[in-house]
Amino acid sequence: MFWDKPVETMEEEALRELQLRLLNETLAKAAGAPFYRDLPVREVKSLEDFRAVPFTKKQDLRENFPYGFLRTDLSEAVRLHSSSGTTGNPTVVFHTMDDLEKWTDQVARCLYMVGVRKEDVFQNTMGYGLFTGGLGFQYGAEKLGALTIPIGPGNSRRQIWFMQTFGTTVVHILPSYALRLYSVFEEMGLDPKKDTKLRIFIIGSEPHSEELRRQIEELYGVKAYNSYGLSEMCGPGVGFECPYQDGIHIWEDRYIVEVIDPETGETVPDGEEGELVLTTLQKEAMPLLRYRTGDLTSVIPGRCRCGRVHKRVARIKGRADDMLIINGVNLFPIQIEKTIMKIPGVGKNYLIEIKTENFMDKLYVKVEVDREIFAGTLSGLTELQNRITEELKGEILVTPTVQLVEPGSLPVWEGKAKRVQDMRNK
Amino acid sequence: MTYHLSIFMENRPGKLERITKILADHAVNIRAISLASAGEFGVAKFLVDNGETAYNALKEQNITVSKRRILIILLSDEPGAMHGLLQVLAENEINLEDCYGFVIDRGNQAALVIEAEKYPQAEGVLREKGYKLLSDEELRSL
Repeated sequence: MFWDKPVETMEEEALRELQLRLLNETLAKAAGAPFYRDLPVREVKSLEDFRAVPFTKKQDLRENFPYGFLRTDLSEAVRLHSSSGTTGNPTVVFHTMDDLEKWTDQVARCLYMVGVRKEDVFQNTMGYGLFTGGLGFQYGAEKLGALTIPIGPGNSRRQIWFMQTFGTTVVHILPSYALRLYSVFEEMGLDPKKDTKLRIFIIGSEPHSEELRRQIEELYGVKAYNSYGLSEMCGPGVGFECPYQDGIHIWEDRYIVEVIDPETGETVPDGEEGELVLTTLQKEAMPLLRYRTGDLTSVIPGRCRCGRVHKRVARIKGRADDMLIINGVNLFPIQIEKTIMKIPGVGKNYLIEIKTENFMDKLYVKVEVDREIFAGTLSGLTELQNRITEELKGEILVTPTVQLVEPGSLPVWEGKAKRVQDMRNK
Repeated sequence: MTYHLSIFMENRPGKLERITKILADHAVNIRAISLASAGEFGVAKFLVDNGETAYNALKEQNITVSKRRILIILLSDEPGAMHGLLQVLAENEINLEDCYGFVIDRGNQAALVIEAEKYPQAEGVLREKGYKLLSDEELRSL
């Protein structure tokens, strides 16, 4: 059950002591990076003292591109990963050999926790290259000895061919792509429950609802685990669900977890929602202190049934910058997903559109109907449409126009789903 | 069971054409059709000579289709025939969920297709009153 038993079963006090020691080491190391040269705090007596250190923002990474956060000699770095950088400088992260080994170890720890073993066949449908989802899991799955297929994204029929031919048991996949892939199984007249050996799905890289996870589990007959990571920390492997599927454990021997009010920067109590802030504790090339992830979540109070002390955070609700403001009302796309996905008759894909009409924001939600549940009556469809409208109204406090569309008619994505189209006049 | 095919579709140009193409490609003959729209989407109902072939072909093309049970009542093609039939249904409190008609032999014979709430009862009442119902085989060989 444990990949690294001493660390995973550490008691609270020992874990905090370890964090304090690693934090002071990190503060000393970070001072070697140009950005942290004039840090006001060089040593802390307690984790609370650490709050005197200012936040690091994504913007800082961009403005100090490319080497402003690198604390080792460039020759010590063996890899870099980078964001696409479509808006300004990309976010570049450097890794030493030790960083890569620790990252690999974290991913292996995550996979082992949910029952992946060397006998498994692991098919990684995430992108390889500069994106961390591909290589991060490749190394982690190999480390624990699983046969690892670096197939990358796309070409659904070939994905299914590999699954069937090599008896794939574990898949790493975007949740939106898992649904799209299922419709290809259907088109081929296959049922993944009977026609594959799939047993575990690792889903991540885009915020998704509990309802979507349950749908994936039912369609494929698997357990689906939520994976959390961001390239600034390393990539995947920062946090992962344990078999209880009750929150994401962040590995606290590797990171300090804080949740803050994004407006005031004040720490919020456990259980309260805010922005996740992480500090690396074992990074060599590029330590980051109090890094604002932009991800909205809350710390789940209390100890997990699995016994691990490592803090759990709730399913990511979205990014602070994903928030939509419709005629002054704040809402997150994930609220729409979780509402519609539990209504029978709703299919696998949806799209959110926002337009300006008569100087007002207008929210449209296009929903594919479930081909199997269609009973053939217009009244059944209008009832479904009304029910979706009413339930959304209750959840988001905005009245949407719900449009029912044919299954397979909405765009599909090979990469991260782009389910919000904001067409408002700016 | 006599049935027609009920298809969910968006109310946009080309959507209906997609269906008729599939039917044509599979040599399915359309006896009658009805459309009901709720604005941006609607339901099209197709009465065809070979329901099974049509249903399977549509399913294969991922069309959202389902079979709906119907009664096809033969009437004489003359004024008042439909009124007589509806009187019988009304007297027996049989509600119609959908209904459309077509002429089989001009001046001689027509048919009314109904989706009713209470099937065995509706069928019984109609037969008792001497109405003739079109069977699957008869529908095929029209």
